[in-house]
Amino acid sequence: MRRPAPTRRLLAATTGIVALGLLVAGCTPTDPNEPVGEPRNGGTLTYASGDAEPSCLDPHVGGNFPQALVSAQYLESLVSRDDAGQIIPWLAESWTPSDDGLTWDFTLRGDVTFTDGTAFDAAAVQANIAHLQDPTTLSSTGYLALGKVASATAVSPTVVRFTLTEPDSALLESLSQPWLAMESPAALERSQDENCASPVGTGPFIVQSWVKQNAITLVRNDDYVSPPADAGHAGPAYLDEVIWRFIPDSASRYAALQSGEVDVIDNAQPDTIVQAEQSDSIEHLDSPRPGAANRVELNSGRAPFNDVRVREAFIRSANVDDAVSSLFQGTATRSYSALSSVEATAVSNAALFDYDPSAAAKLLDAAGWNESDAEGYRVKDGVRLSVEFPVSTNQSIPAEQSVFEQIQATAKETGFEVKLAPMDLSSWYAALASNDYDAVSAPYTKVGPDVLRILYHSDSIVPAPSGYFANLAQVSDPEIDALLTTAARTTDAAERNSLYADAQNRILEGFYILPLYDQQNHFLLRSNVVGLRTLPTVAVPTLYDAWLNR
Amino acid sequence: MSELEVQADFAARAGQPGRPRRLGVAETAAGVLALFLLVSAVAPHLVAPGDPLGIDPLSAFAPPTRAHVFGTDESGRDIFTRVVHGTQYSLVIGAAATAIGLGLGIVLGTLAGMLGRVVDFTVNRFLEVLFAFPGLLLALLFIVIFGPGVATATIAVGLSTAPGYARIIRAQLITVRSAAFVEAATVLGRTRWQILLRHILPNTLAPLFVLATLGIGQAIVWAATLSYLGLGAEPPTAEWGALLSAGRTYITSAWWMSFFPGLFIVLTAVTATVLGRSIDSRMRHA
Repeated sequence: MRRPAPTRRLLAATTGIVALGLLVAGCTPTDPNEPVGEPRNGGTLTYASGDAEPSCLDPHVGGNFPQALVSAQYLESLVSRDDAGQIIPWLAESWTPSDDGLTWDFTLRGDVTFTDGTAFDAAAVQANIAHLQDPTTLSSTGYLALGKVASATAVSPTVVRFTLTEPDSALLESLSQPWLAMESPAALERSQDENCASPVGTGPFIVQSWVKQNAITLVRNDDYVSPPADAGHAGPAYLDEVIWRFIPDSASRYAALQSGEVDVIDNAQPDTIVQAEQSDSIEHLDSPRPGAANRVELNSGRAPFNDVRVREAFIRSANVDDAVSSLFQGTATRSYSALSSVEATAVSNAALFDYDPSAAAKLLDAAGWNESDAEGYRVKDGVRLSVEFPVSTNQSIPAEQSVFEQIQATAKETGFEVKLAPMDLSSWYAALASNDYDAVSAPYTKVGPDVLRILYHSDSIVPAPSGYFANLAQVSDPEIDALLTTAARTTDAAERNSLYADAQNRILEGFYILPLYDQQNHFLLRSNVVGLRTLPTVAVPTLYDAWLNR
Repeated sequence: MSELEVQADFAARAGQPGRPRRLGVAETAAGVLALFLLVSAVAPHLVAPGDPLGIDPLSAFAPPTRAHVFGTDESGRDIFTRVVHGTQYSLVIGAAATAIGLGLGIVLGTLAGMLGRVVDFTVNRFLEVLFAFPGLLLALLFIVIFGPGVATATIAVGLSTAPGYARIIRAQLITVRSAAFVEAATVLGRTRWQILLRHILPNTLAPLFVLATLGIGQAIVWAATLSYLGLGAEPPTAEWGALLSAGRTYITSAWWMSFFPGLFIVLTAVTATVLGRSIDSRMRHA
């Protein structure tokens, strides 16, 4: 076990005494969990993101997490989700599905205007859905989420009707995502380059300027009226201005936060979180992402993982628990589920993922991998038991890459040769597209259990026009397909949950995936930043309720 | 002896040919370090018997103690073992890159110095173009085209040092070419190639030995730079630049992860420089 160094203990003790002194003096250090008085207007907050800088600020185009992070400050969706996972009103006040589930009428708020002066109405929603479904928009996430939507038509200025090709139990969850947020139809008329540089929404902030490779400047929308139902206050945001910077290097990002150069950072590293928790001037906000848990997917579409025994042997030979506890230092909890722990429908089965090298060895013997070569790797018919594992360095924090190295080291003891290949995003996509991998870890965020259909339905093995396919474990099981298809059409909550539970059990028992932990989403903020929270949809921070106590 | 006499005696001894100058502290230390590095490169298990890739998650992030003199990394691997086992990568990369740079430099320099004005002009302009890029940029360009890895990093560093060597060789060659003994050989009717191989090259290349020793130090630093940028050795390989890069993430909480690999890079480069200069001054005095 690691013990704190004496200096650190001394530091902690000193800090404790100082804190006590301040308490006695009646001057408590600021802490967002304690009442800190009335929110104050004004000031500039600097946010430093470790995610890649988006190439387009309109999340309709493509649709990735970096876009969601920043666009949540200036764009809003039709609906949102509360902490309990229930869908709540946002730009849409209410909605009614028809009995057959094929027609949905959304009643919109009538008092909302886009920041360019265009009215938010049913025609605007119609234009947004059309924009997302237009192939020239090159939408991926939003486009997929609208897969069952045939059309959206304005019935009256405040009522828009969605017509579906088949019932979609995930429609509201899909619409709550930032990738399907509403933009000014007048702004969408501009060229894509222009709209990418300054998208126009209804949100609490407005994109003022974007200096690429440096920062995006957002200013307060003084006419803001439309916070989601679970927001902390009404009316315009407190902050005058937000500077949204990009600092890819985690050590530099943390140093900037420590020095007060920036107020909030994302993608915090485990060691800095541990440090921050001992500090009075920095607070930690942990908000795991919804959708899929982070996991290693085993390619069941080719040897050696086309044999369930070899998949189970690999999972049993990987000591993930020790890796997670040493590398994440208590900031991440081991997952035994295909879904994030924030999903109420997640099914967890720890017994399937015990570290058991002797069971793994027996499974390999049974599967015919019963010889060993000079380096101790298992061999069958003269072929070494190798696992090609391409790692996208853009999508994994260093601690996660170290988890893979530890899996490599422990799986070696059982006789697996894991070949880790760190690569940039485009080489990684190329490796996946050419089916040149046995194991891979790809994050996927979507609101609700419908993410299972995207990740494990055999339809998702067929590559999209971009060449990407989401079913990287290449699960092709008619029974899983049937469960997922039925669940996606089932609107009765209890029945839907039970179908998703069955599907998850089948996926876990098939040893297609090795779950690691929830998609980590840690923010560190200076203590004088009060009221920052994440939206319960995809766990992106919202600066609407945030104010500066200084 | 008076102070003046001592100085005179010292000056006389230093100037005496054939009598070795006394070894300085720096030279002795460099010699000992060079020996240590060589042993680490050839037989790392003698110095650090452990497995450089062996993990021990439960003792991760341990600061330097008697059990782990350089501490442990994020997976509980012993940093001392990794640094010692990393020596071979760095030394091999350093030596191989210098050999490539020098070899290419000799070819280009000889072409320019021996084959007349047109070739000289062409090679010189080509070298000037290469000189317009900083060496590391040239190496990066090569890696972008051929992909990262130890082999490409080595070649890339070699290529980017070649123009410098070529320049020096050409200048040396032109000086030697007009020396009296070359004229004598020409008068004696030796062919051009005989003169080049038997008279000019041996006299051109001797001083290069010093340059190469100095160059190894530089090549090691460059190779570590490339690995640090993720363009050389790939993790979990125990290459020094890669170790430094892995440690950087944890620099605020585990300084030893980047300090010790960094220390070894610096010490190796300094050793190579001290030895190079020492050989240089000895050859001048000889």
